[in-house]
Amino acid sequence: MFLFNYRYRLKCIFRDRQLMFWTFLFPVLLATLFNLAFSNLSSSDNFLKVNVAVVQNQALDQNPAFTEAIDGADDLFVVQYTTKSAAEALLNDNQIDGYIIFDSKLNLVVSQSGLNQTIIREFLDDFVQSSATIVTIITTNPTALDGGILAGVSSRNEYLTAVSASQSNPDPVVNYFYALIAMTCLYGGFLGVKEVVAIQADLSAVGARINLAPTNKLTVFLSSMLAATTVQLLELLILLAFLIGVLGINFGDQLGYIALTCLAGSLTGVTFGACIGSIIKQGEGLKIGILIGSTMTMSFLAGMMSADIKYLVMTRVPILGYLNPASLITDSFYALYYYNTHTQFFTNILLLCGFTLLFSTVTYLVLRRQKYASL
Amino acid sequence: MQVYKAFFKIIQKNRGQILIYLVVFMVLALLLTNTYNPPQDTDFSKVKVNIAFINNDSDSQLVAGLKTYLDENANLVDLPDDTQKLQDALFFREVEYILRVPAGFTEAMLSGQNVQLEKTTVPDSTSNVYMDLLINKYLNTAQTYTTYLPGLSQADLTQYLARDLAEQSEVTLISNGSHSANAEKSGYYFNYLSYSMFAILILGVSSVMLVFNDTDLKRRNLCSPIRSATINFQMILGNLSFAILTWLVLISASFVMYGSFMFTPPGMLLLLNSFVFTLAALSISYLIGNLVKSRGAMSAVANVFALGTSFISGVFVPQELLGDNVLTIASFTPTYWYIKANNEIAAAVSFNADTLQSIFTSMVLVLAFGVAVLAVTLVLIKQRRVEA
Repeated sequence: MFLFNYRYRLKCIFRDRQLMFWTFLFPVLLATLFNLAFSNLSSSDNFLKVNVAVVQNQALDQNPAFTEAIDGADDLFVVQYTTKSAAEALLNDNQIDGYIIFDSKLNLVVSQSGLNQTIIREFLDDFVQSSATIVTIITTNPTALDGGILAGVSSRNEYLTAVSASQSNPDPVVNYFYALIAMTCLYGGFLGVKEVVAIQADLSAVGARINLAPTNKLTVFLSSMLAATTVQLLELLILLAFLIGVLGINFGDQLGYIALTCLAGSLTGVTFGACIGSIIKQGEGLKIGILIGSTMTMSFLAGMMSADIKYLVMTRVPILGYLNPASLITDSFYALYYYNTHTQFFTNILLLCGFTLLFSTVTYLVLRRQKYASL
Repeated sequence: MQVYKAFFKIIQKNRGQILIYLVVFMVLALLLTNTYNPPQDTDFSKVKVNIAFINNDSDSQLVAGLKTYLDENANLVDLPDDTQKLQDALFFREVEYILRVPAGFTEAMLSGQNVQLEKTTVPDSTSNVYMDLLINKYLNTAQTYTTYLPGLSQADLTQYLARDLAEQSEVTLISNGSHSANAEKSGYYFNYLSYSMFAILILGVSSVMLVFNDTDLKRRNLCSPIRSATINFQMILGNLSFAILTWLVLISASFVMYGSFMFTPPGMLLLLNSFVFTLAALSISYLIGNLVKSRGAMSAVANVFALGTSFISGVFVPQELLGDNVLTIASFTPTYWYIKANNEIAAAVSFNADTLQSIFTSMVLVLAFGVAVLAVTLVLIKQRRVEA
């Protein structure tokens, strides 16, 4: 009976085209759209050399030190020397971020406040500030001039050593895809609802027929849920393969743990749907409505629409993150990708198992021993 | 006007799904106005990077001086010295730069020894380059002092540093005219509008079409004493009034939020542009309405179409950040041209012949999409009637 029902439930699920669309094609489509839209997002704050123009005039010619300094900073700037009117035209066309004009004092002309403009400003400030330092030193210790202070000021030491935060790049874009997987897991709830409807005599004709059969309802229901979980896990693994293989999203390299997360997520999702399906006695429309509404709210809090939301929850109301299955699934992938330790990961997986247990118990208590006076 | 009345009765019955999209849009629009504040271009202001400053050395005057200097040039964010918390903050860009002052730093610095500070950054980012410049400058200046004025007290050193590094060069900000913050905000508002507009029109029109295209119902309607031309006329009227009603509802919040700005030339252009887009969206919805066979398919198509076009056309992510191939694909949808015109209207400081021409070209293209799709739909309907 177990296998018989299992096989037929699989067929029922695979033939439900609408169900297959929402639980499988829709996430794949959304992932593709995310990828199209976000692919340039993380590279947009990459440093590109700042385009700057220097206006040629007499004052500039008399200050070779400045020309030398800005030419020396070729890792920061792309410099072009032009006339004032040409520089203005370039600025208006957004060809340069600003132009420098030596007019008794250093002057920077920009058309907006931005990080690139701030960098040019910083460079000019540096030039002015070094002069101030030299003056201070020479007035206190005139011998410094012979001690080579001019050369000393222009030679710079590097005081910073980069230490990476983790073995992986801190790229917030991956979080969108992790949250998308979390949504897919919870969309597995559609399958859970379908199975509950199919086994409750007051909800569907199939359910009425099954309740007549001289089989243990628990056995039948377990095999139904197993079928739903199988489909859900399969869909999830295909989605994962698509994300990694086709879209090239980075999940880190701990494949075993990633698969474990998928399994825990599938179970949570399917039992979540079954729980909703059994608690809410009204029509299927309401069940689906509540399922979509809660899934979307949870995915939103897990950062599917904006990664900032997830950080806000993480830092301000961490408890909300632990009570939200979507957050737990997202965080598990995040922890595998980004953290050096597994503490957070295992906490999340345990909590997911806890949720699965809770949802299953509730479903069991509602479904067991139901009798119908009339149907 | 039985047909016209029936049209709105069906819409009434399906208002639940439609209201969801309306609420989503209103929430998005509200969130946007309250959170997004475009930079004011009246005076040059330094961009301050969010950084975390962690001191493992003793609280010396030199460290305090460095911290004060960084506080003036960057936003110091208070974070606990906990690996995961710091990792999280960097990942979600709460801070873009974490500076760690090692133990023994002050002593090494004062005695002229080489010392390295640890930085954790977003690799290759502009903020990384900028913060490197700032910190290296402070420390190099300090080193110059200790080399040439040996025996300088820490108090004097930090004082000298603070004085020198307060020197600034001059910046002139040439602004090309005043640019209102409302223009940019309302630009976003109208961009988001396209998503809800598409979803609502597809759902509304399709739900009506599903009913009227039902074969039995259609046969019954054809043998009614109302002329088929009258039926068609009332259907067209129904579709148009539904679209215009949706448009009016969706733009209504803009008058509340941006007030008199909506009556200035850019405001009027945004309204005109959204109206043109409404017509094109209606035409596409009409085609979809005639193609879908079931209610399930209807919500799937509405979702996929509204989300898909919005994502690739720059509704959720600005067009500048999308790849060229994506934009090429997007240019086959009216949404792309609608967003392009919106962005140009919102960014324009003054309207000259060039900008106006570009904006109106986009509008004409959107309208052309509408007409072309409508033509296809009419052919399709005609063919089906022949088959039936």
